[in-house]
Amino acid sequence: MHGMHRRDVLKLAGAAGVAATGPWWRVGRSQAQRAKKLVFWHLPNFTPLADQLQKEQVYEFAAKHAGLKESEVEYAVVAGEQANAKLAASIEAGNPPDVIRLYESNVQFYGAQGHLIDLTDQVNKMRREPKGIFESSMAAVLYKGRALGVPLAVNPWPVHARLDLLEQAKVEYPKTWDEFIEVSKKIQSPPRLFAFGMCLGLVEDTTDNVMNLLWCYGGKMVESDNKTVVMNSAANVAGVKTIEAMFKTHKIIPQGAISWDNSGNNKAYQSRQAAFVMNPSSIYAYLDSNDKDLQKRTGLFPVPAGPKGTVNQIDTWSYGAFKKNPYPDIAKGLIEYFMQPANYDRIIQSTGGRWVPVYKRLFDSPFWREKPEFKHFINMAETGVPVSYAGSPTAAAGEVLNTHVIPKMIQRVLVDNWEAAKALEECDKRINEIYARHNKA
Amino acid sequence: MPRTRSGSRRLLKWIGNVLLVLLLVWTLVPFYWMIVTSLKPDREIYGFEATLYPHQPTLVGYARVFTTTPFLKYVRNSAIIAGANTLASLLFGCLGAYALARLRFPGRALIARGLVVSYLVPPALLFIPLFAVLSVLRLIDTHQGLILTYFSFSVPFSTWLLMGYFHSVPLELEEAALVDGCGRLGTLFRIILPMSLPALAVVAFFAFTQSWNEFLYANVFVNSVEVRTITTGLTLFIVEDVFFWGPMMGAAFLSALPPLVVYLIFQRWVVKGLTLGAVKG
Repeated sequence: MHGMHRRDVLKLAGAAGVAATGPWWRVGRSQAQRAKKLVFWHLPNFTPLADQLQKEQVYEFAAKHAGLKESEVEYAVVAGEQANAKLAASIEAGNPPDVIRLYESNVQFYGAQGHLIDLTDQVNKMRREPKGIFESSMAAVLYKGRALGVPLAVNPWPVHARLDLLEQAKVEYPKTWDEFIEVSKKIQSPPRLFAFGMCLGLVEDTTDNVMNLLWCYGGKMVESDNKTVVMNSAANVAGVKTIEAMFKTHKIIPQGAISWDNSGNNKAYQSRQAAFVMNPSSIYAYLDSNDKDLQKRTGLFPVPAGPKGTVNQIDTWSYGAFKKNPYPDIAKGLIEYFMQPANYDRIIQSTGGRWVPVYKRLFDSPFWREKPEFKHFINMAETGVPVSYAGSPTAAAGEVLNTHVIPKMIQRVLVDNWEAAKALEECDKRINEIYARHNKA
Repeated sequence: MPRTRSGSRRLLKWIGNVLLVLLLVWTLVPFYWMIVTSLKPDREIYGFEATLYPHQPTLVGYARVFTTTPFLKYVRNSAIIAGANTLASLLFGCLGAYALARLRFPGRALIARGLVVSYLVPPALLFIPLFAVLSVLRLIDTHQGLILTYFSFSVPFSTWLLMGYFHSVPLELEEAALVDGCGRLGTLFRIILPMSLPALAVVAFFAFTQSWNEFLYANVFVNSVEVRTITTGLTLFIVEDVFFWGPMMGAAFLSALPPLVVYLIFQRWVVKGLTLGAVKG
């Protein structure tokens, strides 16, 4: 019989496979060069100008200071929402980026696993700049006394407040949480406008918002030894009861807030459906490029005081450099280049207020001095605390944040109608488990 | 009075039609919402009252898609990757399915079952091992790497689907061709494949849409703009906790068009292929 038989079919299939995969071998050779590249993963900023400046600085540094050709630099834009999954896969495969921007507890998370280069020298150099840096940012990068990241921005979580509504109601911005409730009742007109866009969904922003209020009542999550969990305290009970009253009795928080995602409070404010929200200045930066009218009506204030005063939150973003890197000195050099005050200031200012500088002396510039919205920022940056207060942003604190233990606690109270003390007891137990596991490891 | 048979049939028909209309609404509303959101200004998108249609229609979102992102590059990359994967799925699917359906060799049943098992493994379990494999092969951040990865779900599916279809082609036709001097490949290309066009259309359609819509692998394995696909490009409209809904919906609408066009072209065969495969497999 003429024609092909089984063996011929298999041979042909094999040949087709080889032909189809042929180009990959060529790619494989060209990709072999990649191991010698400087790889920087960029998480987008709010303004295209900031993105552009950062990109220029990467290539400038590579060409002028590292002697790398353009083809030896990989500048990858990675969407922030997806960065963690991508980073986890790349680390597992032994192919992480050389330099990346890391959020708060991620420095200690990856540092504790031995993935990050020691950047203590770079941080000490920054500290020697005139006026130094905001030491509040160091909690995020210090691991066993060594700096495993370089703080690049220390971001306060101010209350974004509608000045026009305060003016209409002839009231001042409230100084205490009790005043806040009274002012809220005066300026809101539900259902179109609620006073307080407090995030209460099962998301990270809820932990931030809830803890910030609890601190003002003297509460905290963990002691500074990063071991003793103190969620189940009278101070926290008082704070949680205040939130419960705002939600159930005074009705100044929209009911829908319990299902918000991290953007829920942003949307509420940007759509003029909330008069106050506690958030980093990402909302202000958004308004700067998308709604100047609302931006003019917006003031940025410290949180009102509770029985224990005002405690403001900060979060710290840092640059981290990974050890699996053929040229660690180049990675360190790139971070130093970014952090040279002149280079750094250009990027910081181009973000329209989203990033707040870690160098104190940069607050002397007209950008920060001339806008009244920013007048509280320097004090907030100086005295602010991380969400894990009184502990550091450790890997355990990161797990508490990412597994939404505190949002579940507040929903026990607001949705399941548990007593605050009972909900806090359950929450305390869960956080204890997390800290115990991490400390044991 | 007892209901007549034609009356019952009419009632059933009405119930069926109502269900179909409900399903149609269920399917089309998200698509409609995507389009109208893409045409609304930010103030309207974030407004207190959700508007059913844009009161102040604007193309600002679309302008932003084309001026602030390399959207056409994303389209090009998605087209290259989905197109290549479709062709490869057809080629390897046909050869593999024919071998499994017609040839006798050790391990045939095991391979056939393995196809199903490999198709059922969730991508979330595979992306880290696959990243390691692609890193070793130096295929991270390349079109080829992504195409190769997509084989992991499209080739098993194509092979399995075609295998069922090839079983339904009468063996006598093939034997007659062999007797007349046609070889195995000749039989495959001259007898089996022309009779399997509906199944090939289904394979092409599914391979294309699966590759076009895939997100996880594209997100993890690709870094540069030169290789980035539409699905991962869309995520760049989310910056921290701020969503730029207008341009994101505009880009999502534009990215939904190619699979829609492909489906409209192959619709007749796709429906036929699915039904034939179902009853004769």
